[in-house]
Amino acid sequence: MAKKILLVEDEEIMIGLLQKKLTKEGYEVSVARDGEEGLKAMIEVRPDLVLLDIIMPKMGGFGVMEGMQKDKELKKIPVIVISNSGQPVELDKAQKLGAKDWLIKTEFDPQEVLNKVVKQIGE
Amino acid sequence: MEIDKNKNEDKISILLEDLDSLKSYIEDLFSFLPSPVCFISSIGVILEANPAFEKISGYKIDEIIGKSIEDIFAKEKTKEIFKEAEEKGFVKAREISVFTKEKKEIPVSLSIIVRKTEEGEINGYFIGLFDLTDIKTYQKNLEEEAKDLQDSRSALINILEDVEGALKSAEEEKNKTLAVITNFADGLLVFDKEGRLSLINPQAEDFFDVKTRDIVGRPILELSTFPTIEPVVRIVGGEIKGVFRKEIKIKENLILEVSTIPMMREEEKFGALIILHDVSREKLIERMKTEFVSLSAHQLRTPLSAIKWTLKMLLDGDLGKITEEQRDFIEKTYKSNERMINLINDLLDVSRIEEGRYLYKPVLTNLESIIQFVVNSYKEEIERKKLKFQFKKPKLKLPEVIVDVEKIKLAIDNLLGNAIGYTPAGGEVTVSLKCVKKEIELSVKDTGVGIPKDQQGRVFTKFFRAANAIRMETEGSGLGLFIAKNIIEAHGGKIWFESEEKKGTTFHFTLPIPEKFGEFLKEF
Repeated sequence: MAKKILLVEDEEIMIGLLQKKLTKEGYEVSVARDGEEGLKAMIEVRPDLVLLDIIMPKMGGFGVMEGMQKDKELKKIPVIVISNSGQPVELDKAQKLGAKDWLIKTEFDPQEVLNKVVKQIGE
Repeated sequence: MEIDKNKNEDKISILLEDLDSLKSYIEDLFSFLPSPVCFISSIGVILEANPAFEKISGYKIDEIIGKSIEDIFAKEKTKEIFKEAEEKGFVKAREISVFTKEKKEIPVSLSIIVRKTEEGEINGYFIGLFDLTDIKTYQKNLEEEAKDLQDSRSALINILEDVEGALKSAEEEKNKTLAVITNFADGLLVFDKEGRLSLINPQAEDFFDVKTRDIVGRPILELSTFPTIEPVVRIVGGEIKGVFRKEIKIKENLILEVSTIPMMREEEKFGALIILHDVSREKLIERMKTEFVSLSAHQLRTPLSAIKWTLKMLLDGDLGKITEEQRDFIEKTYKSNERMINLINDLLDVSRIEEGRYLYKPVLTNLESIIQFVVNSYKEEIERKKLKFQFKKPKLKLPEVIVDVEKIKLAIDNLLGNAIGYTPAGGEVTVSLKCVKKEIELSVKDTGVGIPKDQQGRVFTKFFRAANAIRMETEGSGLGLFIAKNIIEAHGGKIWFESEEKKGTTFHFTLPIPEKFGEFLKEF
C-alpha cells in the first residue's frame, strides 16, 4: 500500500509541483491549504509523513506542530518543514516541536524534497 | 615850687626808668622772638633786625643794617607788597622769597605794619617773616603723596574698570552659554569637579521627566535613584568615564545617544559634560527600513522559489519531455533566478546585521575544515578557469576557534568567490592559514584585477562595487565584503586587504583563539 503524505501548504504552484513529483514516485498525496485544515486532515487521513509550510493563513506551521504535540497519535507522525525562510531561531523551535527536517524552498528543489521524504519514510 | 620841681623831676625820672625798662623789654622780646623781624625806613633801608632775621638771611646784624630791602627780597614782588601796605597800612602773610647771603632762596610768609608820624607821614615799616621752608617741604611732600595717592587711585579705578569690564563680559559670556545650553536641541548635564550635577537643561529634564530643583547639586551616583537616569549612570559610572555615542534606551519610544566630554583647564579636569542626543526617530526609521527590507526579501523569496521549483521540474523532465532548445533557455532562466535568490539572501543578511541579530550559536570548531568545505564548492570553477590554486596550511594542527559555522562559511565564501571571480583564467589564487600570536589568520591572495587605489576606502561599504569589477562581471550585489566584515568583527576578529590594480588583491582576516569559551564574542 502506498505511503500517505499530507501536504500542508497555501501556495498553489508549490502544491501542484510537489503533488506531481510525489505522486509520480508513488506516494498518495493529500493537501490542506492552511494549518487548521491541516490538523483536521491529519486526523482523517493519518498520513505517514507531513510536509509542512510555516507561513499560512488561519494557523501557521508552528501552530500545527504545537497541536500535533498535544495529541498522542499525531505526535508520532514525522514532519518535514518546507519554508521560505530558515532562521536559526526558527529551526531550533521546529526541532523542539518534533520536526525531522527543515527545507528552505530557495535552497532546495523538488528532487531534494523527494530525497528527504524517502529518507524519512522510505519509498 | 622847688617841691614841684622836685616832684616833676621825680616823675620824669620814673617815666624815664619806665621807658628804659620798656625799651629793654622790647629789646629782649625783639631778640627772643623766634620769627625774623626787622624795621626799615620809609625809603626801604633796613634799620633794625633781630637775631632770627640774621639767621634766616645769613647776614650779620652789621651787614644787614643799611641794606636795601630789595637786596634781600625779590624786587618786583617787594614793590608790589609795599605799595599795598602804603595803601592799607598793613599786609598780612604774603608769600615771598628771601635771598640769603649764600644766594639761597627761602620761602617766607611776610607781614608788614606801616609806621606813621603824628602828622600821618610814613616813617618806617615793621616787617615780620615766617619761614615757610618746612611747610613748603611738607607741602611738597604732601603734594607728592597726594599725587601718588591720586595715581594709585587712578590705577585702582583702572583696575576696577577692567575688572568690571571683565565681569561684564564674563556675565555676557555666561548668559550666552546659558542661552545656548537652555535652547540646545540635545539634553545637557553639567557636572562639577566633585561629580555633582551643577546644571541640567530643559531638554534633559524632559528626557528624564525630572525637575532641576529635585536633582541639581546631587552626586552622579545618587542620580541612579531616578529610574530614567539610571541607565545613563550605569554607562558613565561615578567617574563619568569617556563615552562616545552610546545608544541607551531610556523608556518606550526614547532612545538617547550618550556622549561624555571631560571639561579640562590646563590639563586639569574641572567637570564633565554629558550630552544626550535623541535618536528615537532615526532608530524608528532604521528599524522600519530594516523590517521593510526583511519583509520584502521574504516576500520576494516566495515567488522565486516557485519559479525555481517549476524550472527545476521542467529540467528534470518531471513535466514531460523538452527539446534541447527549451532546455537551454530554461537552464539560463534557472541560473538568472538563482542569482536573484542570492541577491535576496544577501539583502536579508544585511538586514539581519543591521537589526543586530546576526550571530547564532557559536561553537568551538576547527577553521580548517570550514575552509576546506568552501574550497571544495569552488573546485569546478577553479578547473574551468584553469586557475593555479593552493591551500597552504601549517603542519601542526591549529587551535580551535569559536565561530558561527554558517556565518564564517559565508565570509570565507565571499572572499574566495571574489578572488576566483575577479582573477582572469590562468591566474593564481592562494589560500593560507596560519597562527599569529593569539589569533588565527586566513589570507586569500589572487592575481586578479585588483581594486583601484581611489576606491579602496569604500571596499567594505554596503552596495559598493569597484568600477573595474562592474566592467568585468555585471552580477554581484556589492554586499559580500560588507557582510564578511560584519561577520568577522562580530567574532572579535579583524579584516583588511592589500591591493594593486591589475596585479592582484590579498584579503586577510583574523579570528581570536579563545582563552575561555565565549569571552571574545560580542553580543549578537
